[in-house]
Amino acid sequence: MKHTWMRAVGIAIAVGIAALLGGCWDNRDIDHRSLPVVMGVSLSKDKYEVVLQIPETSSKGVNLRILKQKGRTINQAVDKISERMESSVDLLHLKVILVEKGYAQQGLTDSIASFMRSRDISPKTIVAICDEKLDPFFDYVKKSMTPRGTTLYDCFEKNAGWNPQMSLTRIWEVYRSIHSYTRDVAIPIIKSGRNGTIDYLGSAIIKNGRMVDQITPEETLLFNSFNGHSAQGKIEVMDKASVMILRSSMRHRSKIVQGTPYLYVQITVKVSIVETKGSVTSQSINQELEKILMKRFSGMLRKSQTREADILGLGQYFRNKIPRTQLRVWRESYLPKLRMDFRIKSIIQNDGYTKLS
Amino acid sequence: MDKSWQVALMYFIVHLGLIFFMYPGDIIASTQDGHWIPIVLGFALHLAALSLYLKGLFNWGNNDIIALYMKAGKGYAVLFLLPLAVYFFMACITVVRCSAEIMTIVMLSSTPLWAVMLTFLLIPTYFALKGITSIFRTGVLIGMMNVPIILFFFSFSFQNIDWRYVFPMIGKASFLTEPSYLESFFVFAGGFLFLGFIQPHVAFRKRYVILAAIALLPFFIFSVYIPLLTFGQSTASTFNFPFIVSLDTISITWLMFERITVFLLLSLISFLMLFLSLSLWSTMRIVHAGIPALKPRYLLVSIPVLVYVVCLAIPSWTDIVKLFWWNTYLRFYIMAAIPLSTYFLASRSKKRMVRS
Repeated sequence: MKHTWMRAVGIAIAVGIAALLGGCWDNRDIDHRSLPVVMGVSLSKDKYEVVLQIPETSSKGVNLRILKQKGRTINQAVDKISERMESSVDLLHLKVILVEKGYAQQGLTDSIASFMRSRDISPKTIVAICDEKLDPFFDYVKKSMTPRGTTLYDCFEKNAGWNPQMSLTRIWEVYRSIHSYTRDVAIPIIKSGRNGTIDYLGSAIIKNGRMVDQITPEETLLFNSFNGHSAQGKIEVMDKASVMILRSSMRHRSKIVQGTPYLYVQITVKVSIVETKGSVTSQSINQELEKILMKRFSGMLRKSQTREADILGLGQYFRNKIPRTQLRVWRESYLPKLRMDFRIKSIIQNDGYTKLS
Repeated sequence: MDKSWQVALMYFIVHLGLIFFMYPGDIIASTQDGHWIPIVLGFALHLAALSLYLKGLFNWGNNDIIALYMKAGKGYAVLFLLPLAVYFFMACITVVRCSAEIMTIVMLSSTPLWAVMLTFLLIPTYFALKGITSIFRTGVLIGMMNVPIILFFFSFSFQNIDWRYVFPMIGKASFLTEPSYLESFFVFAGGFLFLGFIQPHVAFRKRYVILAAIALLPFFIFSVYIPLLTFGQSTASTFNFPFIVSLDTISITWLMFERITVFLLLSLISFLMLFLSLSLWSTMRIVHAGIPALKPRYLLVSIPVLVYVVCLAIPSWTDIVKLFWWNTYLRFYIMAAIPLSTYFLASRSKKRMVRS
């Protein structure tokens, strides 16, 4: 008898526990949340301005709603927006953070650190810089881009509108650059274009969370292939032909002689010919390509050395050669002195369907 | 009946549950470079303690360590079993409080702490009430469900690493006196002691457990090295839970879930619940041996209640860290004294048996 009673209590408790399966406390249902996809941040006179782009579904399709607010912290501004809306703002699905150029030049350290600290914003969120005031930019986005809600995000997504000459940098990488001794990052710079497009202007060199210089899209392509992001598919335009980079691989050797770092790098690019102009030979294409890439690379290296910002992560190759105490000053005392022996070898893997004359 | 592989699996998953939260942060904080040295040193000590303990247990034969100490004398029992019970109790408190706090940080930001902790204690208590064999059966079930998940995400966590961050390989020996390094032994001390309590109920062979321990080495190493290789030392040292943050950086486009951290976290939490139920059960055994008048059932209910009350009294993360630190002395005592005493007492009684 006692046994059956115990069993009944047990079953009752087990059924009661099922009530816990609801799980979350103070849960807000999805229809009471606004999920912004893009957040714009700018700073003027010690006040942050936050712009949120929130896609909202209606009977006609998706509407983009743009909301702005100022606050002493980013959170305060977001809260203000949330207060004024009928639903609560949830940054959980934020995909892109767009920073005004002026703010990027002042330094993003505080905001990036707080993005990392709070679990609301995913560390995978993409960071981009906007080369104009945020208001007109978002107005433009609202007016002219097809309202699908994620449009701006699609420009950066690797399986959507991303191009190999775009840098793709996420919050955690910027955070790493703030603290790391030997690694900086490049952030894409965009601007409103015409006819519903967004112009890509190149990449900003970010050193310790502060924008110090800018590189062109072509240089960014090289930067990407140097850092092992696939440079596949990019069409390289020259005087005589355009080629598609199929694969690039890299070999390197590093040494330190009397405090001067030496780095030997050889990049092998395998290309396929897409378009030719006049009569060209494979030899001339190879030469031309190597020349152009060399020029771009040395330009980028010079920028990186004068700004003491190691976007190429060159310091990484010396981590086993320099003691940690010295590594701390890599950017200031080693990088400008770096001697680099850079070689590019191009191989025309195939010339497409037609023979090269 | 021989349940070696159940015991080995349990040993494996209990440690997995312990590794990924505090351990990486502690090791990264303990030294600036050459992190593999503290890891391997800790692991070697763990393996030494484990094999000594097992040797003692098998010399003692098919019985638990409570019987061993009781036979050796009341003094021994007080000297070793009392601290052990206190240690299990403290371990329960820290695990419940820590994992509840992690849950609030990572996902349940609006759920009150008391509710999270309550569920954390209810489920292990239920396991423990059902007895040791059912804890092991649950372990097999949870292991079969969650070990594949862990392995999957663990292998994907290599996505963003840069091997060059592994340098410099050689560090200083100053980590030996770092508080955070001493705290990291939490992982090594807590998990193997249950082996001494299960013997007459669950029989097992030594070899399997040792193999499970060795299989853990890559997890110890990479739980620390994945954040290090993803972020670099100077960045990784700014995180409270470096491994969890580095999991957050993984993007798998073909997977329909955005935040995979939650899955890994839940698997780990389920492992920690097993750890809790084992600890509760072991504590109950010790207290029951000390005061046989108390019924095991009531003990198993009152110990978690006590744990819960203490957990509620801890106000903040800094206090948890403090508690962790106070625990350190006890932890080293347990880790050294229990295996050694088991070994010596067991071999003494074996000799006596041979003589008589």
